[in-house]
Amino acid sequence: MKRIDNRYARAVIYLLLTAYAIFSVTPFFWTTIQSFKTPRQANSRVPLFIFEPTADNYADLWLKSIPDDPFLVAIVLVAIFGFLVLVAINAGRFPLPRGYVYLAVLATGFAVLWFIPEYIKTQTFYDYFLNTIIVTAGTICISISIGCLAGYGLARYSGIAGVIILVTALGFRSLPGMAYILPYWWFGQRSGLYDTHILLIITLVAINQPFTIWMLRSFFMNIPKEIEESAMVDGANRLTAFISVIIPIMWPGIISTALFTLLLAYSDFLLVRILTQSNWTLTVAISKYAAGEDPGHITLAAAAAVSAAVPIIIVVFIFQGQLVKGLTAGAVKG
Amino acid sequence: MNRRAFYMFMSPSLLVMLTLMVFPLITSIWLSMQYMTFRNINEPEFVGLANYIEVFEDLKFWNAFSFTMTYIAIAVPLQISSGFLIAVLLDQVSRRLRGIYIAAFLMPFIVVPVVGTLMVKQLFESGGIVAWAYREIIGSRFILTEQSVKSLIIIHALWAATPFPLIVFFAGLQTLPDELVEASMIDGATRLQQLRHIMIPHLRSLFVFIGLISIMDAYRVFDSVFVLTEQNPIYKAEVMMLYTFRTAMSVQRLGKANAMSVITVVMILVVLVPFLIRTYKEQTEER
Repeated sequence: MKRIDNRYARAVIYLLLTAYAIFSVTPFFWTTIQSFKTPRQANSRVPLFIFEPTADNYADLWLKSIPDDPFLVAIVLVAIFGFLVLVAINAGRFPLPRGYVYLAVLATGFAVLWFIPEYIKTQTFYDYFLNTIIVTAGTICISISIGCLAGYGLARYSGIAGVIILVTALGFRSLPGMAYILPYWWFGQRSGLYDTHILLIITLVAINQPFTIWMLRSFFMNIPKEIEESAMVDGANRLTAFISVIIPIMWPGIISTALFTLLLAYSDFLLVRILTQSNWTLTVAISKYAAGEDPGHITLAAAAAVSAAVPIIIVVFIFQGQLVKGLTAGAVKG
Repeated sequence: MNRRAFYMFMSPSLLVMLTLMVFPLITSIWLSMQYMTFRNINEPEFVGLANYIEVFEDLKFWNAFSFTMTYIAIAVPLQISSGFLIAVLLDQVSRRLRGIYIAAFLMPFIVVPVVGTLMVKQLFESGGIVAWAYREIIGSRFILTEQSVKSLIIIHALWAATPFPLIVFFAGLQTLPDELVEASMIDGATRLQQLRHIMIPHLRSLFVFIGLISIMDAYRVFDSVFVLTEQNPIYKAEVMMLYTFRTAMSVQRLGKANAMSVITVVMILVVLVPFLIRTYKEQTEER
């Protein structure tokens, strides 16, 4: 749209936008600062901005006891993960398909995280972190594989049944989660699956399925029909054509959808809170720090909030292109 | 694609949705007619509509209901209007600056709701920066009362839920044809007239869409209220979902809690059905 030229008007625009941006980021900024203070500094009458930062809160949160040689441990961990990231970036240079390289990197990374408690005494917070990874990864894998089949079917089938399924699914998605979760709790209690990862994964898959099929369908619709038709003329059936021809060009859409599934599974609170007793994910674990009487709870809560936010911010930072694409695809079609 | 192939591709997903969405919803109706606590999970006692009658006579339920309605009535219009205003302003800014602003605006949207709430709460803790400003300006300490907890919940809603309308409206504004705006400038329209007669009508369908989504989201708000009230009923700031949760998990009246969630579902259908009809029409036209 045509720009406003008036200098004062422009100043007001920048002022308002900057004020809103400050409103948006202040909680992040302040919580991060608080998480590096001692409880005494955090509770000071006048807010402190200059102080000697301490990592004690993070150590208390993650570790039972600090290892004898914290720097060596840190260097080793940074070296391992740095190496894995380097391998992932250069995935194209290996004589293997890219997919296998990424898979190997992810598996190694997870194995390292899994075996860390063998060498370092970690707090339960670390177990919640591992739970979160397991639940989120499981949800993404199942959700995307069945969602891809359904999304492809919905994109290519022109019968009225397709529309009815889509609209009904959207309706179910819009109902409050409580309506499903209380029955899940009851199933869980009766079947003995209560407090297991499996129950969390299958219920998260189900609750997010409507969203997944809508989003994947819109990506599949952008792929021209002629591509799989030519493969089918060459004698492949629809399923093999789908797997060997369509999936390889669908990766951007799949990553976009996986990213949103990750955000949904990672942030789910109500479902995990009701369906688990002790096998919490991070989201539920940190809600424990919300209230407390002792002055230390503020800094510990700050450290917990920052710890839970950092993985998501890293993921979003890596895949920000896909995120914006997914958001605007949904918005413009709205 | 023929029908058979379609159902073959559809079947795993359909199976999951039928067993884990349709079936639980029916179970929920059945459970709502049972007297059930944690002790008799295996032998619930059928009581018919007694749970529903109890819910309708429960003052706490009506308190939760009225706070939910207040929350919707205040938060949703504010979210939509401020989202729209910021989107219009953002449209005036050069491309490079936009990226920086959008990154800042999206932060509350990306972060996990519970974490975001905890971070907002940090500002109001005893050593927090807003609590300090409050003390300096008003002169008294910031303490949690019914009124202040309710305001906190709404401030948080504004912080966390404005980015979504903002981004959607901003994307919508990018599809506004330039010729329309230029023609109106030649005709001597002022900026405000353009806003009133060109931009708002162009975005009308998005306003409806965002309005419906925001109302439904506000209806089932849970995470932020859970964290901000610290689950303490003293603040009387419970929303319907939180009261249902407490009835199920703390009071251990599962039948009654299910009755409440069935009532919530019926109430949400009032907003949901027009939304679904609209989507159905759009999809059948698109085909």
